Amino acid sequence: MDERVNRNMGAAAAALDYDAELMLRVKEGDGASFNVLLDKYRSSVIHFLYRMIQNHAVAEELAQEVFLRVYRSRGTYEPTAKFTTWLFRIATHLALNSLRDGRNERSQERLDDNSDDLPARQVSDRHPTIEATLVYQARLEEVRTAIAALPQKQRAAVLMHKYEEMEYSQIAKVLTCSESAVKSLLFRAYETLRARLAHMA
Amino acid sequence: MNCPFESQEGSALLLAYSSRKLDAQAVAPLEQHLESCAVCRDFVRGQSAVWNALDLWEAAPVSADFDRRLYQRIEQQVSWWDMLVGPFRPAIRHALPLAAAAGVVIMAGILLDRPSAAPAVADTYGAQVEVLQPDQVEHALAEVEMLDQFNHLMRSDPADSNPKM
Repeated sequence: MDERVNRNMGAAAAALDYDAELMLRVKEGDGASFNVLLDKYRSSVIHFLYRMIQNHAVAEELAQEVFLRVYRSRGTYEPTAKFTTWLFRIATHLALNSLRDGRNERSQERLDDNSDDLPARQVSDRHPTIEATLVYQARLEEVRTAIAALPQKQRAAVLMHKYEEMEYSQIAKVLTCSESAVKSLLFRAYETLRARLAHMA
Repeated sequence: MNCPFESQEGSALLLAYSSRKLDAQAVAPLEQHLESCAVCRDFVRGQSAVWNALDLWEAAPVSADFDRRLYQRIEQQVSWWDMLVGPFRPAIRHALPLAAAAGVVIMAGILLDRPSAAPAVADTYGAQVEVLQPDQVEHALAEVEMLDQFNHLMRSDPADSNPKM
């Protein structure tokens, strides 16, 4: 009977998404499936948290906590939603808590000094001049400051929409609000960003 | 086509167009509208600029030892938990339904026992009243009789004593 339940759950998960099926395998003790999920989502979770918190070390620490929670919850996991919805709900929750606790204060102070957080290849691949590098850094700094100035929920919504390419419905599930509320959040956020960044066109 | 800028749905449409995520079918009518609507054109131009600006921000690469640190933490947690629970896991799995059933039975027992406790208290009081009441009445009557005698003595005392004085 257990096998039949597992098979049914597996089928439901597969219909829902392949990641949920992998997570069900993790639930059954398959460590390799956890590794597949980690490989698949490590970067996007870290990058999302990094853009939320704007501190690389804290973002990685929080990402570790996200995957640790995923692993710890494997026993009670039920594929009721897309795996990524669940994953980003955990990530967003941790990020918002961290922002509330002020754990990222160090990063906010470091907004002026972004040299550590710059992806090296951006400037090295094209062999830019010093002037081009400075212009790039100034523009990047403007983007980071504009994002950091957004209210936390708007920020999360923009990051999920822009960088994770999530649908409105999925963002709504992550933020536990209505789809219409997400549209409104995004519209306000992008309008704020337009006011700050439109001159960069 | 109505101006999309005037509704939430329309704004979402403009955002989708600016972020190059709009369905191909919806692009043509919107572009036709943009030719005649300066407000929407400005909005799209601004949002496209935002979209391009956001593209500048690439996240830093992930630390090389991220996985190692994570698996180390997982191993620590798992070994700690296994040390505590591991040997008892089969027993726990079988005993858990029994423990839950026992809990339900105990709770039911407590709940069923509770209503009988209240009348028992009331009965005790009733019995106390029945047993004590005659004594109390007897005492009270004796006291009334004593007071009556005392009053009688007090009233008779002055009459007897005055002639003696």
